[in-house]
Amino acid sequence: MAVGGANGRDVYGDFATLTVPEERTKSTLNIFMIYMGVLAVVAAIFAGSGLAKMYDAATMLKVAILGNIVLAIFGGLIAYVGGSTRANTYMILRYPLGRLGSLVGNIVVSAIPLVVWYAVETWLFGLTVNVIYPNHPLTSIAAASIWGGLLMMVTAYYGFRAMAILSYITVPFWYTLVVIGFFASVDLAGGFSKIWAVRPEVMAPIGAGITYVVGLYAAGSVITSDVARYGRKPWSGSVAWATHVVFFMTALLFAGGVMTLLTGSPNVIVAIAQIGLGLGALLLAILGQWTTNDNNLWSAALAWINTTGKLNKRAWVLILGVIGTLIAGVWAGLWGMSLAPFINFALMLGYFIPPVGAVIIADFYIFRPFVLGLRNPRQRYRFGPGTKYYAVNVPGIVAVALGGAVAWYTSTVNLGAPVINGIVTAFITYIVLITALHKAGVPWGIGEWVERETGF
Amino acid sequence: MSLKSEALKAVAVMLVLGLVTVGLGFAAGNYRGFYLALTLGGIIAASSAVYLVIISMKNAEDARSVAVPTIQSLWVSTSMGLGYVVTAYAPYFKYPFTVATALFTLGWVILGFGLAELLRISRASGMELAV
Repeated sequence: MAVGGANGRDVYGDFATLTVPEERTKSTLNIFMIYMGVLAVVAAIFAGSGLAKMYDAATMLKVAILGNIVLAIFGGLIAYVGGSTRANTYMILRYPLGRLGSLVGNIVVSAIPLVVWYAVETWLFGLTVNVIYPNHPLTSIAAASIWGGLLMMVTAYYGFRAMAILSYITVPFWYTLVVIGFFASVDLAGGFSKIWAVRPEVMAPIGAGITYVVGLYAAGSVITSDVARYGRKPWSGSVAWATHVVFFMTALLFAGGVMTLLTGSPNVIVAIAQIGLGLGALLLAILGQWTTNDNNLWSAALAWINTTGKLNKRAWVLILGVIGTLIAGVWAGLWGMSLAPFINFALMLGYFIPPVGAVIIADFYIFRPFVLGLRNPRQRYRFGPGTKYYAVNVPGIVAVALGGAVAWYTSTVNLGAPVINGIVTAFITYIVLITALHKAGVPWGIGEWVERETGF
Repeated sequence: MSLKSEALKAVAVMLVLGLVTVGLGFAAGNYRGFYLALTLGGIIAASSAVYLVIISMKNAEDARSVAVPTIQSLWVSTSMGLGYVVTAYAPYFKYPFTVATALFTLGWVILGFGLAELLRISRASGMELAV
């Protein structure tokens, strides 16, 4: 069921409910810079410390590369869906989950988790600023979280172009400064010869590390289409995504891991501050969190528009940004309350995010071309006023629910790789169910939703 | 002056500024300062040199094909200029005061010149800053 029409009116901004027109597409470099901006966050370096507890430097590098190749394939496949349809994640979900099903998908994938992560990153920003410049009213955790949160809302408010400009100025500087901080901290800790000599007492199996790395960014891989849809070529987003993950995420994880092995801490910002780069450390924190968090907020706003059909992107950015900033600045910063309840809730939802990516891949790459015979990628999904969707795609909802449940359960009993278990379960469930229903002549969807002039 | 000439001039200026900062690195008197200048200045000089060749091969009549590599090149150099601004006076790099001041000043020059040229090339070509 896909009766398409012409592109509608962009009443929400940034083509939140519409496909991106040809004249608004961007170069592969532009897409790459946006992804690099999202990755440019100290949390990515901190994540390397998890690998340092499991491996020596050489094994850490191997594990990081292998894990990131898995992410490159997973996210790259999803990015290609966005690149060839020019639609964002929440529009794409109308097919594998149905129009009403996609509302649930939007909430699980972005609408709630990204606001939580926005709050967490904003609070981390306040914490970092406070570490670098303590004893000033404007650099208390609460105050820094609030002005930091407001700052991060600016580019998301103005949209994709503003986010791209910020990434262009930030990305080369940020990565260079991280490299400088990394080399300086290694230098101060005794030099490079020590790196290869240090190792944890017990080494973990390779598979455990790969699972760890995949788990770090599996959820982010699912929303690659939000940016990839702007790519001039269908493959722009896939190439940009794969390149940034394989080379730069590997480098950040390795840097964090090595710093942990040598110094006991992956905190590159503290390392940079310690070598007298107070301003550099501050800019690293501000620009890094900014280019990541504006993307969180922007994607969350797109998700809420596609869920409610109310207000526009700017209004949603302000609403969600203020909520996230209040959680960071007032709840955590001022009242000193734990962010754990929010984080635990987001993590719980996080079990269901990779399965959503799995059903997108299964639907776009297997079901539509090989069962429905839609070989041309551009014809697999159609959007525009008058397009009819199933209200609920039953196999999609079942597959995501089952995949998420399996991921959650296997994490509680420590069985295999929960993220990958969830992905494989959802993928197979979807293919089997929808193909069986289709072959049996039974409709796989329930109800009907006709797209409005606004794309909602 | 045509857009292509302006673009070549802007990137050539960046190349020279990058090389000057690398030269100042030799005056650091220690490996830390030298490597820093070699990294930041080297990125500016190398990327500018590559982009100079790319831009020179573009058709001068095609504003878009000239502007895109120019803007990309200027973003890299401008970003590295910011790097000099924040690193020049850091004690770790042990620059003599005069060298640190020269690098700090050049950092601001690269930053200011880069932003001004980015805006100018963007306006003249009608291309977005984030190409």
